Parts: sequence; structure tokens; C-alpha cells
Amino acid sequence: MSRVRRMVEPAAGGAGAAALAAARPAAPWCLGAGFLLPFALVVAVFFLVPAVLTVILSLTDVSVATGLRGFRWVGLENYQRVVTDPVAGLVLRNTLLYVGATLTLFNVGLALVLALATAFLPGRWGGFFRAVWLLPRITPSVVYVLMWKYFAAERPYGVINQVLAALGLPAAGNWLYEHPWPMVIAINGFVGASMGMIIFSAAIQAIPREQLIAAQVDGAGTWALVRRVVLPQLRWPALFVAAYQTLSLLASYEYILLATDGGPGFYTTEVWALYAFHTALSNYFGNAQYGLGAALATVLVLIGLVASVLYLRFFNFRQLTQQPRIEVS
Amino acid sequence: MLDRWTNGVIGCMGRLARSRALRRALAAALVAGLLVLAGCGGSGGQPAAGDQAAGGAGSSGGEQGVQTVTLRAMTIGKPTERYRFDNLKDAVERLNQKLEQEGANVRVQLEGTHEDRPWDEYKQRFILAAEAGKAPDIILSGHEDVAPWAAAGHIVPLDEYVKDSPVYRDVFPTLWESVTLDGKIWGIPQDTEARPLYFWKSHLKQLGWTDQQIAQLPERIRSGDFTLDDLLDLAKQLQDRGIVPAGQGFWTRPQPGVDFYMFYLAYDGRMQDPATGKLVLDQEALLKEYRFFARARELGVLKPSLLGTDWSIWHRTVTGKQVGLFVGGSWQVAEWQDQYGLTDADVQDLGYALLPAGEKGKPGVTLSHPLVYMVTKYSQHPDLAARLILEATNPEFNTRHAVESNHLAILKSQLEQPEYKENRLLGDLAYMVEYAGFVPLHAQFGNYDQAIYRGLSAVVAGQMTPEQAVDTVVKQLQAQLRDEVIIR
Repeated sequence: MSRVRRMVEPAAGGAGAAALAAARPAAPWCLGAGFLLPFALVVAVFFLVPAVLTVILSLTDVSVATGLRGFRWVGLENYQRVVTDPVAGLVLRNTLLYVGATLTLFNVGLALVLALATAFLPGRWGGFFRAVWLLPRITPSVVYVLMWKYFAAERPYGVINQVLAALGLPAAGNWLYEHPWPMVIAINGFVGASMGMIIFSAAIQAIPREQLIAAQVDGAGTWALVRRVVLPQLRWPALFVAAYQTLSLLASYEYILLATDGGPGFYTTEVWALYAFHTALSNYFGNAQYGLGAALATVLVLIGLVASVLYLRFFNFRQLTQQPRIEVS
Repeated sequence: MLDRWTNGVIGCMGRLARSRALRRALAAALVAGLLVLAGCGGSGGQPAAGDQAAGGAGSSGGEQGVQTVTLRAMTIGKPTERYRFDNLKDAVERLNQKLEQEGANVRVQLEGTHEDRPWDEYKQRFILAAEAGKAPDIILSGHEDVAPWAAAGHIVPLDEYVKDSPVYRDVFPTLWESVTLDGKIWGIPQDTEARPLYFWKSHLKQLGWTDQQIAQLPERIRSGDFTLDDLLDLAKQLQDRGIVPAGQGFWTRPQPGVDFYMFYLAYDGRMQDPATGKLVLDQEALLKEYRFFARARELGVLKPSLLGTDWSIWHRTVTGKQVGLFVGGSWQVAEWQDQYGLTDADVQDLGYALLPAGEKGKPGVTLSHPLVYMVTKYSQHPDLAARLILEATNPEFNTRHAVESNHLAILKSQLEQPEYKENRLLGDLAYMVEYAGFVPLHAQFGNYDQAIYRGLSAVVAGQMTPEQAVDTVVKQLQAQLRDEVIIR
């Protein structure tokens, strides 16, 4: 007999029954813990331990030159170096610009537009367009960025400039280097928009049809329908997408690394995560500074935590997740 | 309160860290963490050559009591530079013959691969393998890696293997200087090169130059009659006459690299203090270098977006004769012929000279960046690894590498090799070694380089004036390197 069955079956009288009755309150806790244990282990090994290791690393001067055996404990020296780093302010501003613009214009903005647009299309066509927008996400990042590079390259290699020349318009130089921020934001945004699009589409489809019909009967046009009925019901998915994508964007650097490597010029598109990567793991002449890089990564984690708290307060998380007071059938 | 708490935590950690067992466990955990991080930052799931190369030396019993030792090597370079690995492979037979003659009961075989990948990825792979104790026996890299890798204990000194070898006397002495740190030899030179200023003779003819004037240009640069300012003026003329497009009168390499220090050297810059070994930043020389690049941008002969251009586009543009004057490596001629369709006639049309000095009367400069073989601490047979490298370092093998890849001779005896003598380019470039500088051997050179390159990027992109860029670089170096850099 399984342990679960023993826990739920009534015992047959006597002292045994009393013992079981006494044990009963603990049973659901054990069951829950049993189910949670594998996930808790995964979280501990893959999320908690690396975070703790990163904090420990950040208190050392470990680098290629010291090796992992010759390092010293330096306390908060690395954090002091981050604070006094003449480049840190610029990198932080870049990060805010990158996260804010990509999130607003693409991950939430374009995603919402796409979800609404495809919601008003017949089912099959809506699905087709949503599938097309998923293509950047399933393309390997190296290939995807390489495609953009040749798209943006100078004449006679770049597609944009070839098209401009064919139309008799003046061709520019390399778009990636002449307009780095719009390009970097677009490269990331086209990938990021698909996730929000799917979540918003699912949320729109979950809105009871009766509400939409009732609004139309009351004379609501399309814009009023979207503004008064659809958008208010997307607050919770919008919170989730905004919070999740903020954290993802804060930690993401691979597309920028491949597209501009933080350039052109003086840290023009260098974001905090890329700065940490360059410091800790990628240095042309080999002396990567793991300790300082870890301090930069820890600061990024703190920024992420602060952003999460702000989101929860701004969107009034408690109110969004409480049980509905009125059941609409 | 925060200070007290922090000091408490750090003090506690310090006490814990003094425990050897804990330090070992922590080191192992950190390696695991770094491996995970590197995996996340990697560029794909393809099994890398370094994985095959990793694993340290192995050995197995053979016939008649003869033991076979497997050595592993990691080398990097373009396909034309494959002899960096193949020379080691072919040296196995030479070494085994000697071992047999000596009556030794051991034979050697070699595993590993030659990788054509970005340098930072290659070095990162080695470091992670080394920290995990799985480094190959032999690693090839730039001579500047001697400093951080020796400090970290990843490589071993080779004096006892090298000093009595005939190879020691045959290698040009300056190359030994490039691998000597704290009085010890840490690597064996594999190749060296020059970084000429290239130009197309046909372009200069279009400008009205005579054959004699064109032939005299390298000598004028060598003697200091033609300076960096003259270079910009010539580049401007090539553009103004429509021989090359705007922004393509003068190009440097498009990515980070040691080439940029040639400009610093051209203005009498110094990188290291010989007395203390500390890095040096000469503000006046750096300002002059940055002003040169600012002027190039203002004249419109150098595109503000040059730094960051894709290498393949750069190669295609310069080999298409769309750039007037450009700085590149001597080895790139072989790459252009191999991959970019440069014909023999084009090579004949290609002129090359030292980089001009910044001021009249001073000789031109170049920069050499020897690649060297190093033996890792993780090798179970460092003696055999060192002997294998020495066997691979011979005039025939090094000449075939030099001719195939257009690298300069590292051995005096190579100059007498018929193949080497027949190669016009190598013969023409040989004199440049006398004018070559090296980047310093210092554990923090990578950080020094990053700050100076970013400052240069800011000037080329037009984001900062030369003065602002120098000021920023000085602040960065003072913040990062502290007393390891002397600001003059």
C-alpha cells in the first residue's frame, strides 16, 4: 500500500486510529514537501549556489593572474572600485536606456499591438502571423545577428543600402555603427516581442465573449472596446511580461556582444551585464578579473531585485492576485 | 554599523579561507561556477577542439616494455597557420628517433587540434581547462600571456630544457627577451612578424608618382623623411583625386590588437619602466597619438565607424584596392591570397613600409608580437613536452610555416633556407625586425590595453576630444591599476 493511501484512508479504530488522527495534520505538509523537494533542489543547485558563489567571488581579487588558488580576500574593495569606476555611470545609463526602450517599444508595446492586431484576424491568419513573429526567437542568436550585420552593412555589402541605392536614395554607411542604439534595441526587441505577444493573445482570448458582445451592444466601437474592456483585463499579464522581461533584459547581453560588442566608440552600447562579462570572462589579452566581474554581477542582481519590488508596488500585486469578490458565470 | 557587520563577515571568511581544505573546496566550486558561466556565454553547443585538447597527458604500455606517452597541444590560427600544430606533429617522429637512439623506453604521440577562433574564446577555454587541472601539455599563445599565466602558476619555466639546446643559440636574441620574466624563460618562440603600412603602387602612379618615387617611399619612412602627418596628406590626396572612396584614405585594423601601439611608439611612447617592471602611460605620447587619429577623422580619410567593422568586410575592402593606405600584419598577405582572391599580380602591386614616425628625422616603427609555445604545469611529462617543442623548432619546419603564412624568421639559420630566400615579401620585410617594439610582459597589461583602446575608439568615433580621452584613460588606469602604473 502506498504511503499516500495510508495517509488518506480511515484507520480501523483503537489506539492506531488515535495515533493516525494525531498524525493527520502533518500528512499534507509531508506530501507537499515531497513534491517540492526536487524543485527545491534544482533551485538550490542552479540558482542559489551560483548566487552565493558570485557574492563570495566578489569579495576576492581572483583573476587569471592570481589563479583560483592564489587569490586574496579584499572585502568590499571591488564594490568600492565599481562605485569609483569612471565608466560605471555611463554603463548604468546605457543599461537603463536599453532596458527601458526595448521593454516599452517592443517587449510590451509591440507585443500588445501584435496581440491586438492578430486577435481581430480570423483564427488561422492570426495564428500564422503569430508564428511568423516567433521566427527570430527560434533562430540561433549567432545566425540571427549575422543576418542583421549583413542587413546593416555598408555598400556594397549591406541589404538596406543596396535597396536605398536601387531606389535612388543616398546610401548611408554601416547602420549598426552609425545608429547603434536603434539597431541594438530593434535586434533585441524583435526577439523579445514574441513572448509578450503570446501571453497577451492568450489573455485576450480568455476574456468572456459576453463582455465584448455586451460592450458592442452598448455602442462601443473598436477603440473603446480595446480601451475599456480589453486593456483593463491585461493588467496582470502586463505586470508579468514587464517584470519578467525587465529581469531578462537586465541580464541579457549576447545580442549586443555579437552585434556591436559594446561599441562603437567609448562604451556606447556597453550595458551592465556585458561590462560584467567583459571584465570577468573576456579580455583580449587574457587577464580576466573574476572578482571584479562578480561584484558587477552582484550589483546587477540588486538592481533586478529593486526593479521587481517597484513593479509589484506599482501594479498593486496584492490586489491583482486576491480572490475575486464576485463570481461571474 | 554596516562597517562592523562587513568587517565581521569578511574576518570570518578570512579565517575560514585560511583552512586549506576549505580553500580547495572553494576553488573546485568556483571552477564549476565559472564553467557554468562560460557555458552560458559560449557561442554554441558544438564540441570545441579545446575539449579534445584538454585532459592532460596520458600514457600507455606498449610492446617490449616501451611506454607510449600521449601529449596534448592547443594551437590557434588561420588555416594558413596550420604548421603551428603540424610542426609539433611532425616533430614527434624526430623526437621518437632520438629517444630510441638514447635507449629510452618511452615514445611520444600527439593529440589536439589547431583552432581558427577568436583569441579571447581560445584563451578563456585554456584558463578554464587549466583551473580544472585539465589543461593540455603544450599551449601556444601570444608572448604577453606569459606574465598572467606564470603568475597564476599555469605554465612552467623552461630554462633547464632550453639553455643547453642548439635552438637557444639559433633563435634571434630579442625573441628570448619577449619570453623572459623575472630572469626565467617561460616560452619558446614559434613565429614573429611585422605590421607594415601597405599601399598600392598603382594608386600612387595614378597620383603621378614615378616608379622611383614609389620605390623610395619605404626608405624615406625608415629614415624619418616621411612622417605620420605626411601619411594623412597622402591619404587625403588619394581621396581627393577619386582614387579611393571618402573615408577610405587610411585604415587601421578594425578590432582591438597590438597594432595601435605602433602609433604610440611612433610618438616616443613607453609602455614599461625597465627598473620596476611597472606599466607606464606617457600622457604626451598618447595625446599625440589620439590627435593623429582625430585629425584623420576630421580630414575624412578614416571612417568614424572603422573600429568595429567586421573583419571579412575589412579584408574584402582592402583587397579590392578600395583603401589607400592601411596597416596590417605581414601574415595577412597569405590570408588574402588564400581566402580573398589576391592574385600574384596584386601582390606585386602591393607596397609595404614601416609605419612612419610621428616627427621628422626619427625612424619608422613596427611592432612584433611573437607567438610562443608554453608547457603547462598540468603536464605529467614537461620534459617530453619541452623536448617536442624544441624538435619542432628547426629551420626547415619554421621556414615552411613562415613561407606558408608570411611570418618572419625566428631562427638565424632560416635566413639561409632557399625557400625563405626566394620569398620576396619575407626578404623585403626582414629589416623591420630591427625596428620592432614588443608589448610589455605584465599581468595587468590586458586592463591597460582595454582602457587605451576604448579611449582611441572614443576619439575615432568623434565622441571625445583627444584631451578628454587621455584624461579618461588616466582616470581609468589610476582606478584599476593603482600603483602598478606610472603616469608620466
